[in-house]
Amino acid sequence: MAQLRHDHTEFVARDVAVVVVGPENAQGFADYWQKERLPFIGLPDPKASVLKLYGQEVNIFKLGRMPAQVLIDKTGFARFVHYGHDMSDIPSNQEILALVDELNNPNSIT
Amino acid sequence: MPRVSLNQTAPNFSLPDFSGNEFTLADLNGKKIVLLVFNRTFA
Repeated sequence: MAQLRHDHTEFVARDVAVVVVGPENAQGFADYWQKERLPFIGLPDPKASVLKLYGQEVNIFKLGRMPAQVLIDKTGFARFVHYGHDMSDIPSNQEILALVDELNNPNSIT
Repeated sequence: MPRVSLNQTAPNFSLPDFSGNEFTLADLNGKKIVLLVFNRTFA
């Protein structure tokens, strides 16, 4: 989350809305957002409705939900989907920003 | 458990943010690219 905050201006510059969904309740989100001064959208999902809709994995041997990221273009299509296998299995911001650049300029040669 | 497929329409949803403002994914269609991050926990 700290890395996302660090690079948030890069996402904003590319017309990306960062939306974080998690199992905590609204107070848990509010406390964490204030403590960490997070600039993006935080959606509490204590009933796991969206988490289930998007198939976030639960691994009881690794103590809970695995991270996942979905990059959605402006037409509403999922263009990058990553389901982590453990807590460290998260794509880098640079990787995601490179994909965003391709979405914003599909004719570019990278 | 279902998973989102690449190059398919991402499932729409609505949820209130932690301040109580309703967020609907489809509202960003045509306006923003969306990076949806599924967090595990803040602990």
